[in-house]
Amino acid sequence: MTRSLTILAVAYFLMALTDLGHAQNTLEKIDKSGTLIIGTRNGSPPFAYINKNNDWVGFSIDLVEQTVLPALSKKLNKQIKLEKKESAPATRIPLLTSNAVDLIAETMTDTQSRREQVDFSLTFFVTGAQFLVRKGSPVKNIESIAGKRIAAQQGSTNAKIIRERVPSAKLVEFPDQPAAFQALSQRQVDAYTNDGIQLAGLKAKAPKPDEWVVAGEFFSYEPYGMAMRKNDSDFRQVVNVGLMDAIASGRYAEIYEKWFGAKGEVPYPLTPENKRFLQLQVVPK
Amino acid sequence: MSYNFNWSVLWTGQSGGWLIQGVLTTLHIFALGLLIALALGIVAGALRTMPIAPLRWFASGYVEFFRNVPLLVWMFFWYFGVPPLLPQAIQDWLFDHGVEFWAGVFAIGVYHGARFSEVIRAGIQAIPKTQLEAALSTGLTVTQAFRLIIVPIALRLIVPPATNETLNLLKNTSVALTIGVAELTFQTRQIETYTARAFEALAAGTIIYLVLCLTIASIMAHVERRFAIPGMIAQGQTGAS
Repeated sequence: MTRSLTILAVAYFLMALTDLGHAQNTLEKIDKSGTLIIGTRNGSPPFAYINKNNDWVGFSIDLVEQTVLPALSKKLNKQIKLEKKESAPATRIPLLTSNAVDLIAETMTDTQSRREQVDFSLTFFVTGAQFLVRKGSPVKNIESIAGKRIAAQQGSTNAKIIRERVPSAKLVEFPDQPAAFQALSQRQVDAYTNDGIQLAGLKAKAPKPDEWVVAGEFFSYEPYGMAMRKNDSDFRQVVNVGLMDAIASGRYAEIYEKWFGAKGEVPYPLTPENKRFLQLQVVPK
Repeated sequence: MSYNFNWSVLWTGQSGGWLIQGVLTTLHIFALGLLIALALGIVAGALRTMPIAPLRWFASGYVEFFRNVPLLVWMFFWYFGVPPLLPQAIQDWLFDHGVEFWAGVFAIGVYHGARFSEVIRAGIQAIPKTQLEAALSTGLTVTQAFRLIIVPIALRLIVPPATNETLNLLKNTSVALTIGVAELTFQTRQIETYTARAFEALAAGTIIYLVLCLTIASIMAHVERRFAIPGMIAQGQTGAS
């Protein structure tokens, strides 16, 4: 009896999962609710984090607020509000497919395997994996991590690359940045790998930034995009138009300067190549 | 919006191997954690029923302190808090030998030990005093009365709540992923990373936890029936057989 009930419960659960489909498209959903719900992070400075004043801010959030929201409001002819929800690498795709959020705007790398599940906006930031180490550490780049204890973020592309390229490195994977940095500062691990820009952000926020070095060449290519439900090209078009207008008009550069400029949270000047790359993504009106 | 399920991601590539590794690690933490929890639980549970006040206070202090702080906090405590207190040589050794795993085992073991001790205390205290008096009046010594009457009955009484605690312990091993232990939930997330197929990975994890828990529950139910005292406890289950 118990067993057949269990089987029924499991079957029901699976059916509920398969039944998630056939909802209205995202623009209709936003039009009805008047709200764009984004999934973002609260511990990834300077893209999305909680600042000293307890506000949920960041470069990715600003991009949504100042480029995507205006484009949406224009398209739907009404003021659209923004609602933020916490997402993590393991939850962001389910959050989208279950309709809990409409857009993932954080530090999500656009990859081919992810594109089988979700669609991405154009690339809004380019970085690559590096290492955060203590000053004077023997870890200089990916060639020098054999046998070392390396912290990585669970569900990140960096961990995957290290596992494939340096199997002798001992990977310890943490769910978020603060735990990984805590392990690094207590010398539980020799280095922490993540996208270079995030490490720079972490270093800038550390109690003693001078103690830390972001080391090594990029050993991966991490183009950040905003993710959305698959096969919803009308919504995707609005998001992309928002981003393209911002890049073309200089709004993007202003937001970039606010976060990554000389006086920004994490000084990280836009390289000429990356600037050119962003501009090339803007198609004519 | 639509989501096309592709269950084959669970056995193609490395996924199958990861799931098996995850299950083994989960069972490993479970077994070691359960040993620690039972040992601490029996000692603390027994101490709380002793007639000597300081021993009771000591055991109560342990129970209340450990069961009233979230397990997640204990994970961080054993992983981030304890190693720096140890001598450098032991620290280095630990870092080379999977400190996250042992921190996870201790966090689970000590936390659930506090919970188990309450189950055991309740079992001992549930036996009426008259039972002991009756045993003594038949000519048994106190030790004999405890060994032959009180403890055997108490052990039978605690089977259902102990099953509950054991299942909780198994499921709580998943909290160890916060300190980087590659247990089952961790591996399901890993599959999600590689395949971007979250629903399939989570469903696989769910079903594996369910199967593990149902197995434990049915073993414990069997134990309960096997050792039931006819006419005394669990008569509803065994009937007049």
